[in-house]
Amino acid sequence: MSEIRKNLDELKRIAESPRAQLDRVLSEGKKAIGVIPYFAPEELVYAAGMVPFGMWGAETQVTESKRYYPAFYCSILHTALDLGIKGEFRGLSAVMIPLTCDSLKGMGTNWRFGVKDIPVIDVAYAQNRTIPAGEEFTESQFKKIRGQVEEIAGCKISDKALSEANRVYNANRKECLRFTELAASHARIVSLTDRALALKARYFMERDAHTELLRKVNDELAAMPAEQVKGKKIVTTGIIADSPELLSILQESGFVIAADQITHESVDFRALADETIDPVKALARRLNDIKGSSVLYDPAKGRNTELAQIAKACGADGVLWVLTKFCDPEEFDYVPAKEMLDAAGIPMLQIEIDQQMVNYEQVRTAIETFKDIL
Amino acid sequence: MADIFTLGIDMGSTASKCVILKNGREVVGSSIIDSGAGTTGPQRAFEACLKDAGIEQGQLSNITATGYGRNSFEAADFVISELSAHTLGVHTMYPQARTLLDIGGQDAKVMSIGESGRLENFLMNDKCAAGTGRFLEVMARILEVGVADLKDLDAKAEGTISISSTCTVFAESEVISQLAKEADIPSLVRGINASVAAKAASLVKRLGVKEPVYMTGGVARNTGVVRALEKELGTEITVSEIQQINGAYGAAVYGYGKVR
Ligand code: SF4
Repeated sequence: MSEIRKNLDELKRIAESPRAQLDRVLSEGKKAIGVIPYFAPEELVYAAGMVPFGMWGAETQVTESKRYYPAFYCSILHTALDLGIKGEFRGLSAVMIPLTCDSLKGMGTNWRFGVKDIPVIDVAYAQNRTIPAGEEFTESQFKKIRGQVEEIAGCKISDKALSEANRVYNANRKECLRFTELAASHARIVSLTDRALALKARYFMERDAHTELLRKVNDELAAMPAEQVKGKKIVTTGIIADSPELLSILQESGFVIAADQITHESVDFRALADETIDPVKALARRLNDIKGSSVLYDPAKGRNTELAQIAKACGADGVLWVLTKFCDPEEFDYVPAKEMLDAAGIPMLQIEIDQQMVNYEQVRTAIETFKDIL
Repeated sequence: MADIFTLGIDMGSTASKCVILKNGREVVGSSIIDSGAGTTGPQRAFEACLKDAGIEQGQLSNITATGYGRNSFEAADFVISELSAHTLGVHTMYPQARTLLDIGGQDAKVMSIGESGRLENFLMNDKCAAGTGRFLEVMARILEVGVADLKDLDAKAEGTISISSTCTVFAESEVISQLAKEADIPSLVRGINASVAAKAASLVKRLGVKEPVYMTGGVARNTGVVRALEKELGTEITVSEIQQINGAYGAAVYGYGKVR
């Protein structure tokens, strides 16, 4: 028990001190590359012997980024850019910026102007990612990025090293998924904050080290009997749901996250890379296999079907739609999702949050009332 | 058997309201103080309500707090969300109600109520003054009239001067420019009321209009807004008799349920 606490606290410490993690990496003489969401091929960075550093914004008030984005803009990008301008990412050798949504499309340009000392690696995916031509395009982009990463690393990335990176990342994904299941069945030991931060820590550490730490937690949890779920079971869905305030409101209201469809969490680790094919192709194909995220184009809206399936499979009492303020892709998905869940008889609550939010009272009222009606 | 007194206190963002119920039904005391959570308002409302009912705090079986500041009222035995309190309040008084629209000083909420009185679904407005009492306050100030006068001015209107901006700040300059053009004040007021109604109606429509529709909250006193809402929703709206204290009433009903 105390070992679990120790390891969960260690993951929490890492998740809460990204800059200290970056300093550690740099002090070890390693190079680090920033990775802005979503789904950038950071395995290339790992394969080149460098460390990828996740950049999902932060709970902070922005000042500098307002010169580049209107005040109401997406808070993930606002805060990431703001921290960049303020020098919080000094030491990164580059930053990968995908072009997955309209807000991200301007991020590369803004970053180039605002943060002159950290060069940008643009990451483009095919919009129609699942057709052969789409996969081919994405693969060609990843080959280009491979060259850019090699230049920064000062060495070639062998296929063998990239295959190994895919293996390391897959192992981490499996361990993360296992953790979400065990956290749900041991909710008295693993609080919602423990859960979120243990998963978040992977963005700031070498993946194999994260896997090792999380495996210890998982093995100990697995050796304990599963608890009888006391509170209401929910599935969370959205881009990111690591706000401490939100998690504590959910915890106080007695909710258990039975599963999630959060891009920052399970959506990222549910899809594995095929270890039997060419490693770059495997990266492109993994992108095709990712379901459950509004940011990857899917005319069939498979995200919503998957959401209903996840909710049913884990016996959830309801779904919590965590809407990141100003996020078009999420807003577009909400309407058909709501219709689908209504038809399936699964209650859903939508709450709107962003990383600069200070007053959670309305969210608290909505969540407490949601508990009452479930 | 001795009478059972339960107290409900609704600590809103702009006002504090209190109700004392006798035996779960009869309102024997009530108070409204125009200062909300974080001020002396809740305590003053509490004391005024006890005085109004002519009883001592010791005679209360329990106290239930609701509203924005519900978690900060130390004397509370129970705490429930304002959506649950409003639903309970309206269902107790009007069991037939299926939709409740509550428009207060700072927010608007709509609740869908099942036959058994169960809150089935709800929506709250997004931290925006448009579609709330705040919008009316801002406009009344520019027109140099009281918020309470908006209903009478609306009744005198012969036409409607529409306000096209939803945003309170932009609407404010729109109204100012209308005043500069010496626009007819009653018609302008009707446009202002219609603007609040349109925004609130969109919230109700998002949840689905289940008849009969009831309304509570300070804005329900403005018949101009209510009429405009009826037009927008295509249905009659009944304003609760206790529109301003419905949340506190529901909280007191909840407390009574706990005694029983
Ligand atoms: S997808 Fe949404 S949350 Fe993500 S960067 Fe774009 S606007 Fe922001």
